[in-house]
Amino acid sequence: MHQRIIRFSVPLVAVALTLGTFGGAATASTSRSSEPSYTIAYEGPLSGGNAQLGLNMKYAVELAIRWANEGKTFGKLPFKLQYTEQDDQGSATVSPTSAEALVTNSSVVAVVGPAFSGATKAAEPIFSAADLATVSPSATNPLLATEGWKNFFRVVADDNAQGPYDADYIAKALKLKSVYTVDDASAYGSGLVGALDLRLQHDGVHVTHQTAPGTTQCQAGTGNVQEYGALASQVVSSKAPLLYYGGYYCDFALFAKALRAAGYKGQLMSDDGSLDPHYISEATKGVADNTLVTCACAALMNTPVDNAFATAFKQLAGFPSGTYTPEAFDATNVIIDVMKTIGAHVTRAAIVDGLRKVTYVGITKTVTFRPNGNIAGKTIYVYRVENGKIVELGSTLSLIKSS
Amino acid sequence: MSVSTSTAVARIRSARHSSDVRRLFACVFGFLVLAVMTGPSGSNLAPTSGFTGSLLHPRVFVFIALGVALWAIITAQHRWGEAIKHASDHVTALPRRVMPDRRVRLAFYAVLLAVAIVGPLHVNAFWQDVLVDQIGIYVLLAIGLNVVVGYAGLLDLGYIAFYAIGAYSTAFWTGALPVHPPIVLNAFWAIPFAIATAMLSGVLIGAPTLRLRGDYLAIVTLGFGEIIQIVATNLQGVTGGAQGVIGIPHPAVNLLHVHYTWLIDPLPYYYLLLAFVVLGLIAYSFLEHSRVGRAWTAIREDEVAAESSGINVLKYKIMAFAIGASTSGFAGMLTASKISFIEPGDFTVQLSILILVLVIFGGMGSLLGAVVGAAFLQWFPWYLKEHPLFGFQPEDLYIYLGAILVLTMIFRPEGMIPSRRRKREIGLAEHGVGTADAMSSSQAPVS
Amino acid sequence: MCFTQNFWSFFIGGIANGFLYALIALGYTLVYGVLQLINFAHSEVFMSGGFAGYFVLNAVIGNSQPRGLTSIGLIVLGTAAGAVGGAVVAYLLERVAYRPLRRRKAPRLAFLISAIGASYFLYNLAGKEFGRNAVTIPAPYTNGTVFYIFGAQVQTYYVVIAIAAMIMLIVLDRIVAATKLGRGIRAVAQDAETASLMGVNIDRVIAQTFILGGILGGAAGFLFGLNSGVVYTMGFTPALKAFTAAVLGGIGNIRGAMLGGLLLGVFENLGVTCAPTEWRDVIAFGILVLVLIVRPTGILGERLGRSA
Repeated sequence: MHQRIIRFSVPLVAVALTLGTFGGAATASTSRSSEPSYTIAYEGPLSGGNAQLGLNMKYAVELAIRWANEGKTFGKLPFKLQYTEQDDQGSATVSPTSAEALVTNSSVVAVVGPAFSGATKAAEPIFSAADLATVSPSATNPLLATEGWKNFFRVVADDNAQGPYDADYIAKALKLKSVYTVDDASAYGSGLVGALDLRLQHDGVHVTHQTAPGTTQCQAGTGNVQEYGALASQVVSSKAPLLYYGGYYCDFALFAKALRAAGYKGQLMSDDGSLDPHYISEATKGVADNTLVTCACAALMNTPVDNAFATAFKQLAGFPSGTYTPEAFDATNVIIDVMKTIGAHVTRAAIVDGLRKVTYVGITKTVTFRPNGNIAGKTIYVYRVENGKIVELGSTLSLIKSS
Repeated sequence: MSVSTSTAVARIRSARHSSDVRRLFACVFGFLVLAVMTGPSGSNLAPTSGFTGSLLHPRVFVFIALGVALWAIITAQHRWGEAIKHASDHVTALPRRVMPDRRVRLAFYAVLLAVAIVGPLHVNAFWQDVLVDQIGIYVLLAIGLNVVVGYAGLLDLGYIAFYAIGAYSTAFWTGALPVHPPIVLNAFWAIPFAIATAMLSGVLIGAPTLRLRGDYLAIVTLGFGEIIQIVATNLQGVTGGAQGVIGIPHPAVNLLHVHYTWLIDPLPYYYLLLAFVVLGLIAYSFLEHSRVGRAWTAIREDEVAAESSGINVLKYKIMAFAIGASTSGFAGMLTASKISFIEPGDFTVQLSILILVLVIFGGMGSLLGAVVGAAFLQWFPWYLKEHPLFGFQPEDLYIYLGAILVLTMIFRPEGMIPSRRRKREIGLAEHGVGTADAMSSSQAPVS
Repeated sequence: MCFTQNFWSFFIGGIANGFLYALIALGYTLVYGVLQLINFAHSEVFMSGGFAGYFVLNAVIGNSQPRGLTSIGLIVLGTAAGAVGGAVVAYLLERVAYRPLRRRKAPRLAFLISAIGASYFLYNLAGKEFGRNAVTIPAPYTNGTVFYIFGAQVQTYYVVIAIAAMIMLIVLDRIVAATKLGRGIRAVAQDAETASLMGVNIDRVIAQTFILGGILGGAAGFLFGLNSGVVYTMGFTPALKAFTAAVLGGIGNIRGAMLGGLLLGVFENLGVTCAPTEWRDVIAFGILVLVLIVRPTGILGERLGRSA
């Protein structure tokens, strides 16, 4: 009998909701004060297998907006900032729709994101046509800067910057003659390791390469945790003195554990996707100690500013600051900095113009953009895990010089 | 005699009473689950904080009250259900008498078509894009899979493979892949190639595997779906690898006096898609009632009997695969040329499963069901994101979706709008006559 | 030959993985035997076992480093916790997502969708409540090499899995072959209607079958998590592989599931030496198709009714 209720109510509800959709767009929030209100949006994966990476960035954006509104970062601002988000699931088929949502929302003046390179490639034409600035904290594919999008910016170094610098560090500072490289078959990992391998070979280092697809323990991958055990045996047999992993902290942790369990005694090294305290907690301290991690970002050293950020972030998010969190914070702040320079009357076009000329000192680096949207400056920093903490050793160039 | 009847009456009353009590617990429990779903989240370091935050909080009383209210409504319905049924029968008498009439149905579809043509002009670019990328593509995929699962009764868990093949062959024929085609086509003219390649792969995949029975076919098709994604990722020199393919051109028509180029505005794609959906619906509808369709029905209901009646079962199964693949070939082309970028991560196993969900939720074996199911389940999350119900966060979307699926299957297992034939099959099965589908083995499912 | 480098090392690793697959595959096969239904939500039973084991061991061990007899006790505790977690979720699944459909004699595809919905619901709820990063189960033992076989090291982890799994598999085999519950399961699998005529309480047997499968799957989740951490998405890939193993061995066939799991584990591992990692799934799948074409009902054939 109650099926009747369902049978009637479901279509009725559906009709009502449909009418509601056609009836109007989302209601814009009316601010009670006389200050204009602008929205900064975050686009990235919030659900699905890649959710954690997206959440790492989302709370950083929220925190930046909150601190700006409270006057902590920039002093008194002539406007109020709001936050909105779009979950593109890291997917290139969802991101165009997310982009349209942000573009048609007239109060959105700039976007932090999209987080993933694939999603960015798909969404950027729409953002570009609407002249809406997008500052990505994590999209590293080099091609993004070659498509001629005037509104595209990123605060992270692309794969063609990081890969070769890491290679030079291995060849000239560590002075190694052979390396085993593994990537996780993601757009990020395979791109980075591809660039790394080319440069290593150019530097005269012998490279053995394998692809181990990322697992569902970490991301929306097709891989299988068991593969790390088998691959570890192969790495041990190859007797390579260094293993470089291109991918994310969670898969790297599993792989590192398997390597040490298989008896691998060489040096472990990875990219900025592994710059996350969860690498240490998941791999366990004994395994993680002495791992090298590189990043185009200055460390969150224990300065008061960084400590305040780390504490506030943890309180807001419920988990500690991780991969791409500081970059997202900087990306938001550089937008707010540009907005402050513009004044009370902010437009999308003004922000794009402002970003082309800005210089902002963030917590990861000094942010200035090249004409093609790439971050200026190619300093890559090397970190080492020491006693359960991530410690900065210095930039690759300075380490090469001093070796 | 009277003693036994009175004890019998007393027993029936207490049984009904206890089923009422059980229903009360079920309703309240359901709403408590909803309270947790819409409540705060926990974390690694505080795994119980989500539960305590949702349940040890005054808002839990609202949910308990709602649970009791629902129970009251249902119990009241049980007692006075007959009266309500009579009233509602009067209301639905007219539509039910009139609907089977062919002309009324055609008029109804004409109205739907008019709404479909005119409606999108009155919404903003975002909803137009939802209609194309999030709803339209999935409607196409759903009506294609409906041929395989709904008509022929084949459990295909790797349907996304055909979508991927359609997309990559579009990329190939427009010259966007690292390997170049013999002649470079415009994306519009790549449509027949995309469809043909998808259909051909349907034949190739089907030929060795369609001999397998139900669940084995499921596993094999699941494997194929995953293989396609892995091949796309690994063959970097052919498919662009994990980085995907960028720069696929938009379609353009330059024929006789017609010059039109699609750009990034979603509305023209919508009309192209609508044209194809209508074509597909008409074609599949004719197919359903043709000899081929009847062969499929026979295979679906009893494969052994069909074979012994002289139907070449394997041939018709392969046909179902190939024909079902055709709409996904077009869907792949549309995605590739509208977004101008495809990557292997677009074509996951989870997506195959989602399309199956859309088809079955909408109603098995029914075209209208597939369309409505896909449209509703794809539209609903986007509506929720724009108008979040209290407590909704985008991260939790699949929690809601999962709950909706389970509830729908419990209360309406035939799907939203099942085909009339299926509805009869299921109704008979409920009363113990025959099985509800041919996918069960020779014995009846356990009651 | 590509197999022969480090053969024993890969073989042993493969057997350990195979045991895990076997434990999960049994969950699928048991349910299939009595219901002719693929329990798509079994991946969440696996995950629940992992989380249950994690919570219990996290509370008990904390930061200490147990050794010796305490280790064994803790391993048993963790496995039991995982088993209980898996059993609870499996039972709830049966009551909420399947039984109402059984009452209505719903078509099998409806069961499939209900299972998929339940799976979406469970793992996303776990992600929301327990966080989306992986957590490590504090080790109840210190991992090292226990002994060597033909020059290949056997880690403590492998020994733990092997012993735990073998105990569970033997116990299961005995339950199905010799107890009243086992006879009930076999009877329902063979012919449910007649079984009910003979006085078997179908509902109870089905619930108990789910619980049995849940115990094994949940324990597997804990054992898996010992090495690989516990995370809300952990169920998808291992369960998929295990399902393939169950089909490979003959769906509905208990000994088939055990054999299928072990074979899959071993060949997956040995395959690494023969093919690059990224192609392994393709090869494994190709082998599966070949096996099914030659033996369409799996290696040991179907039928739970004939006592495997």
